Amino acid sequence: MTVDHGVPPTRTETPEQRQGSFTVLERDRFGPGPKGFFTDTTVCIGCKACEAACKQWNQLPDDGFVFTGMSYDNTVDLGASTWRHVSFVERPVPLPGQTTGGGDFSWLLMSDVCKHCVRAGCLEACPTGAIVRTEFDSVFVQPDVCNGCGYCIPACPFGVIDRRDDDGRAWKCTLCYDRLRDGMVPACAQACPTDSIVFGDIDELRAIAEQRVRTLHDRGLTDAYLYGVDAASQPGTDGLNAFFLLVDEPDVYNLPPDPVVPTKKVRESWLAVAVGAAGILAAAVGAVLAGTPGGNHR
Amino acid sequence: MPDDDDRARARHLDTERAALGGVGAEQIAEPATHGHGDELAAPAPYDVWSRVPSIDGSVAALGEATYYDRPVIKEPVWIWTVPAYFHTGGAAGAAAVLGAVAQLRGGLDGLVGRCRWIATGGSALGTVFLIADLGRPVRFLNMLRVLRPTSPMSVGSWLLAAMSGAATVSAVGRGRGGAAGALARFAGLGGGVLGGPLAGYTGVLLSNTAVPAWQGARRALPLLFAGSSVVAAASLLELLDLDDHEQAVVRGFHTAGALWELAAGAAVEREVGRVERAARPYHEGASGALWTAAKAATAASLLVSLLPGGGRARRALSGLLGTLGSLALRFAVFQAGRVSSRDPRATFQQQRAGRGAAEVTATPAVTGPGRRALAG
Repeated sequence: MTVDHGVPPTRTETPEQRQGSFTVLERDRFGPGPKGFFTDTTVCIGCKACEAACKQWNQLPDDGFVFTGMSYDNTVDLGASTWRHVSFVERPVPLPGQTTGGGDFSWLLMSDVCKHCVRAGCLEACPTGAIVRTEFDSVFVQPDVCNGCGYCIPACPFGVIDRRDDDGRAWKCTLCYDRLRDGMVPACAQACPTDSIVFGDIDELRAIAEQRVRTLHDRGLTDAYLYGVDAASQPGTDGLNAFFLLVDEPDVYNLPPDPVVPTKKVRESWLAVAVGAAGILAAAVGAVLAGTPGGNHR
Repeated sequence: MPDDDDRARARHLDTERAALGGVGAEQIAEPATHGHGDELAAPAPYDVWSRVPSIDGSVAALGEATYYDRPVIKEPVWIWTVPAYFHTGGAAGAAAVLGAVAQLRGGLDGLVGRCRWIATGGSALGTVFLIADLGRPVRFLNMLRVLRPTSPMSVGSWLLAAMSGAATVSAVGRGRGGAAGALARFAGLGGGVLGGPLAGYTGVLLSNTAVPAWQGARRALPLLFAGSSVVAAASLLELLDLDDHEQAVVRGFHTAGALWELAAGAAVEREVGRVERAARPYHEGASGALWTAAKAATAASLLVSLLPGGGRARRALSGLLGTLGSLALRFAVFQAGRVSSRDPRATFQQQRAGRGAAEVTATPAVTGPGRRALAG
């Protein structure tokens, strides 16, 4: 039996030593090919183990310790140093079949993350080639290439990627590229105690997610649906490699209802540039001809 | 650069037990921006006592429900040098076009020279502005590491680099004989080809984002920036000495540009105004005031440029007003985008109104309980 405690192999260890310690790695457990997350918000308990595991594995600095008053959410949002964020939505309505002690109320909890879009706004905007797509179909920012131009930040329709002033480079979730290379699942998925975060091959995740929606519908939670599961349900991004099961409008979870990779809309903008360039030329020709009647005046 | 101890402290890491080797271990976190709360200017806590913390999407009007009023998208991190570059780079582009046309016409040597120097200075200053904005300025050459056609910033970097080179050659070699003069004339025409796209691509740079006030004006914004660039170039030329014919050329250029800028400004308001919430920053607050001031200054510069007579004072006033108008316009659009990105309802209402992906995709997105599709 294989027990993966998520400990990274050090370069000086021999395979025997590694087995003799406590981790047996199956380096080829993940072949290349689309990988991602299926985040089932109906089983999230808001423990923030994913946030802690992400911070710890990736050795990210803290965000400061602030009190926001936003329910139990003092993390606020995803950012340069926060690659998992649990949202705490307090609603004045019950979930179907739910009984509450006093007044109508329900929790919605969601662990948010970079969506690793099939058409990624950040990647298509990056002028340096720092943002690349990996063999796992994830979107990765190379910190040794990024020059901090900041264009990826407004190009992301989900507000995921960000730059901190002191560091000067853009950062976001890597889908634990380093762990995947060593055959380990991402830290957040490994830490999740309820399997709200499931990591795997996209095809398998889709099948699991569709089955889960059917189960929930059978149990009477007919509000359940998948957000960004494929290109058909979210044509603006051609689908998300990290998709979600939600039970309310996306807006409530701070997700855009109809996100679009900006590049999908850019063609007409470039046509306008062509018209503008022609206009400048026309203005120049007109001005020169009108200002020099009778040709060369010297 | 912080040493290992600083980095470990920012991560609350015991270096006896853990080595700094994670992907994020390289991330620099200055002591002033992390630590123990008291060092931070914490945001005022959300008022949970007097208002419902968040609203059920099926209860609230669609587009009104938010997550504690938090922004959906991230605010652009660009500083003032970026809109300043929009002005100087635009002026350089439009001046290069006018210079090339004047060069072909002949007999306008003074104008050609001044256009070439504006193109040279504008693209050089613009380059400095853009490098100053980078998070890692020493890596500015990475901008020319690849050409990525999907990125207007990549396309623009190459345009600016080519323009800067062509303009410098054309300005330095002007008036020389032989091969140097021929090369300068060729570079002057080359600058004329590059100038138009350089003046307009900055509009694409902004519209190719998720910012509602920018994406919502994706057709009109490049036209506005191109027109504003004509005013910017003409205004700078009006502040310089020119002969009578050249003054007439510049006056005509200014008039055309100002009319164009005013019309394109109205087109931007109309296009983005299809979603009221997205257009709000153009009418309210500092960005709204700047937008109005830009229109007023451009209109005033147009009136002054139409006044009879070629007096030095008239030209200087027209040039000053036009420069102010073009500058205010770039800062107004820039600020409108920053404000817009902080407003989650602008994003929600724009996309709910069918101005998100629905504008360009055939099938509607699934956006709600029970796989309810977005109403186009």
